[in-house]
Amino acid sequence: MQHVAHVTELHSRPGEAAIEVAHLSHAYASADGDVPALDDISMTVGVGRFVVIVGPSGCGKTSLLMMLAGLRAQREGTILCYGRPIRDPDPQRVGVIFQEASLFPWLTALDNIEFPLSLRGAPREDRRRRTAAMLTLVGLDGFGARYPHELSGGMKQRVSIARGLVQDPPVLLMDEPFAALDEQTRMTMGHELLRIWSATRKTVVFVTHSLTEAVYLADEVLVMSARPGRIIDRIEITLPRPRTYEMMATDVFGRLRDRIWQQIRKAS
Amino acid sequence: MRRPAPATVRWGLLAAILLLWELVPATGIVPELFLPSLSKTLTVLVEDHQTYFAALLVTLYEVAFAMLIACGAGIVAGALVGGLTLLRNLLLPVFSSLYAVPIVILYPVFTAWFGVGSQSKIAFAGIYAFFPVMLSTAAGIRTIDPQFILAARSMGATLPQQITRVIIPASVPTVFTGLRLGGALTIIGVVVSEMLTSAAGIGYLVTLNRTILDSPRVFAAILMILVLAVAYYMLARAVERRMVVWQSAGRQQRAAARDSAAGVPAPAAA
Repeated sequence: MQHVAHVTELHSRPGEAAIEVAHLSHAYASADGDVPALDDISMTVGVGRFVVIVGPSGCGKTSLLMMLAGLRAQREGTILCYGRPIRDPDPQRVGVIFQEASLFPWLTALDNIEFPLSLRGAPREDRRRRTAAMLTLVGLDGFGARYPHELSGGMKQRVSIARGLVQDPPVLLMDEPFAALDEQTRMTMGHELLRIWSATRKTVVFVTHSLTEAVYLADEVLVMSARPGRIIDRIEITLPRPRTYEMMATDVFGRLRDRIWQQIRKAS
Repeated sequence: MRRPAPATVRWGLLAAILLLWELVPATGIVPELFLPSLSKTLTVLVEDHQTYFAALLVTLYEVAFAMLIACGAGIVAGALVGGLTLLRNLLLPVFSSLYAVPIVILYPVFTAWFGVGSQSKIAFAGIYAFFPVMLSTAAGIRTIDPQFILAARSMGATLPQQITRVIIPASVPTVFTGLRLGGALTIIGVVVSEMLTSAAGIGYLVTLNRTILDSPRVFAAILMILVLAVAYYMLARAVERRMVVWQSAGRQQRAAARDSAAGVPAPAAA
């Protein structure tokens, strides 16, 4: 029960940082010596914020996300999540959503969503109830018995999102979740994600290389440089919420998008 | 005019082959010594059914045990060699080059060690099929998407959970391919060794009747092996299809499998 008390405490202090990264650096060992990958990254993500990280290919944004998830260790620097360091994956604090390949093809949509709960041996009743609630949340009622290969790309990503949310972690990390989708599905899914986000009030860190997606989704966009990755700009997205498709045609949207593009071009 | 379904064509081809087998020897174009007619072959099978049935039991018994060795040891060894980098670097080159050795040259050694009875057949066929099963399992384990493991870790899976909940289910298709391949090769191994040195089994009947130029009895034995191999193949495919509904590109694959199951299967490896 200690865990429940802890989560309540997490949610009861808004305005505080969900994630604090300080002086994080990383390098990969190779035959020709160390290849620097990330260079002195510091960032703070406030509780309930939607932060998008953009940058040129190979800038280390996925590496950074994997470190935030505790899936990869950094050489230097600290990562705090709600004041406690992240060293190993901690699904109670951080949920991760990958590209579409990571759904287990031998499990149905429902069993995929239930997977994290079954790892912990949660009571069956509880598992069923929460899994069904997640399926409804992502708009897939009636598709629970389908296998991933029987679902469209967008539906698969809805299942991934449900799987990331089922343990109710306060933080959600998303690694280019819509990269494999076609343009139209991608727009719809972005819109859906915002709906789910406003219904669940998670803190989100979202990696993408689509500038439109970044501006459309974010409260705040962090721009990374080419390798070794540094954070070179932090752009507050002032567009009101809820965001609409019409906003994409506005001058403000275009200017924000342009500013990010200029930064990336300068940096790569 | 509509083109007939592939399944219909396959059944038609089989019927044509059987018909030719019956008619060609009857015309006398091919001497009976080379090709006895289908009806003669079947007549012999019925006449000597006790002999043939006893031989079939011996062969099946040897195949079953050899399959146990080849598939059991092959899958376990393949999983270890494919899954552990150290073992892979040490052993995979050795196993791969051993695979190129025609293991049948070792069969005389096996008869010296195990005698001319069933043991030498089981040992030979078991080892004959072991290498391909092991190598295909090792290759299959390595093709498991690393994203699956990463996702499981992010959800808090411990190492034992990663193995039982992700690696094992993800390996099921590979294991089935290994079983199908291993079974077919075991049948080959057993029959070949029976033909070389033995006193029982269907392979023995082939050799025995060939030396006394009794063609219908040779062909009766060949027919039995053919049926055995095809039956095994169809059974393995049916089980595989039921177990692995999810295999990537599942739908097309299942449709293709339905096609081939409906008609005559592709020529068996034997």
